[in-house]
Amino acid sequence: MNLLHTTWHHLRRSPIQSLTALLVMIIMFFLSSIFFYASQGFSSVLKFYETRPEITIFLKDGLDTATIESIQKELANFAGVREIRFISKEKALKIYQEQNKENPLLTEMVTSSLLPASFEVSVNDPLVLDQISTNFKNKSTQVDEIIFQKEIIASLLKITATVRQWGIIGVSVFALISFLLVFVIIGLKTTSRKDEIKISRLLGASRFYVIRPFVFEGTIYGLLGAFVGTILASILIYLNRAAINGFFQPTLFVSDTLLPLAVLSLLNLSLGVTLGSFAAYFGSRRYIRF
Amino acid sequence: MEVAFENVTKQFGLVSAIKDLSFKVNQGEFVFVIGPSGAGKSTIIRLIMRQSKPTHGVILMDGQDINGPNSEKIELLRRRIGVIFQDYQLITDKTVEENIALALDIIGYPHSQMSSQIDSVLKKVDLVNRRFLFPSQLSGGEMQRTALARALAVNPQLILADEPTGNLDSKNSWKLVKLLQQINRDSNVTIIMTTHNSDIYESLPYRQITLKSGKIG
Repeated sequence: MNLLHTTWHHLRRSPIQSLTALLVMIIMFFLSSIFFYASQGFSSVLKFYETRPEITIFLKDGLDTATIESIQKELANFAGVREIRFISKEKALKIYQEQNKENPLLTEMVTSSLLPASFEVSVNDPLVLDQISTNFKNKSTQVDEIIFQKEIIASLLKITATVRQWGIIGVSVFALISFLLVFVIIGLKTTSRKDEIKISRLLGASRFYVIRPFVFEGTIYGLLGAFVGTILASILIYLNRAAINGFFQPTLFVSDTLLPLAVLSLLNLSLGVTLGSFAAYFGSRRYIRF
Repeated sequence: MEVAFENVTKQFGLVSAIKDLSFKVNQGEFVFVIGPSGAGKSTIIRLIMRQSKPTHGVILMDGQDINGPNSEKIELLRRRIGVIFQDYQLITDKTVEENIALALDIIGYPHSQMSSQIDSVLKKVDLVNRRFLFPSQLSGGEMQRTALARALAVNPQLILADEPTGNLDSKNSWKLVKLLQQINRDSNVTIIMTTHNSDIYESLPYRQITLKSGKIG
């Protein structure tokens, strides 16, 4: 009478209870997988902007060459500046036309005189961006507008933190519900098999021997739930990958590699085994008093 | 296996089930514990099985105090004992074969030899053709013989039979007792059988421990 046979016997004897436990586990791991992918995605977006610290200084129209050169020199004097690119009005027009080449209506009406010249400054340390911004904000005769990614990064940080926070809360609540449900279902199953347990104990079975099939059953719920939940969520995400990545261009929200799936599977399967086996262990121990 | 009770008392609250009871059952002996209902017969079985502990006194098995500090684990003790009950205590959703296999699995019997051991005990109790039936498909006598087969399968040193004929007709009762006699004779297994069936214990030449209100009467 091996463990698998006994466990299969237990599952077969109360299929509705088993299905309920399994479904809750699947939902739990489906949600945790979605939160995982969302968190990973926002982290990638954040990383993209954090590793590309740039500031764009749009210049007023009509500045002479000497003023433009002095601004460039001033920018070069900041420590940590990696690259300074001057975008003239003509170059700005070319970029604009390239970006909107599929929409002639937008390009027809625009000439180089409408677009401002600008400096695009890349830095190694994002903190320098603040210094540059503060310095050039006061030069309203030369500078029209300053744009840099401080706001974007701040927003992304907030979104990522919120997703992670709610993800942890949501997954914790569902994990608790799953734990309690498996605990109660295994408890019910233990109670319904109390005669068998009592007889087994009289025949010399240890507590571990009688608890073992129930713990194994809980482990199966956890493993199957984690496997199915992860696979379903991953299929959903990967089927919509193009649309999601399109929305977050130019960053890659959903990775092209299988690494996130591998990490997620490992995490979920470990959590599933732990959750299922512990819930079943405590559920059966709670009711085995023989 | 040798069993000895030394001044054993078992109280349930204010009620004493057995009082200051002393007796000894020798290795290979067949003993009847007799007496009316409530005399304490089943309490003796429960105490030997360590389903409960004595309030006072000592129970020795092969000279070792089963409730003492150096006593073996309950499960190890029980694996050396075959037990049969008046209500059979078979698992209803397992076949005859599976009920016996459970006992073998518990003692860690090699799986490769289980089938032949089950064959052997089913032959002894004449149930070979009932092997794949469930308890609900058996008669009372067959269920009790299944319980006996399960007890025998683990090659016990002691068989405890708690009113095993209580639910059986005369013919089946005698069939079971004759089987127990044969096992006792052939394997030198100690047997303690509680019963209030006077036809049986008066017809057989075995020692009787008579209980009356928890004392040897």
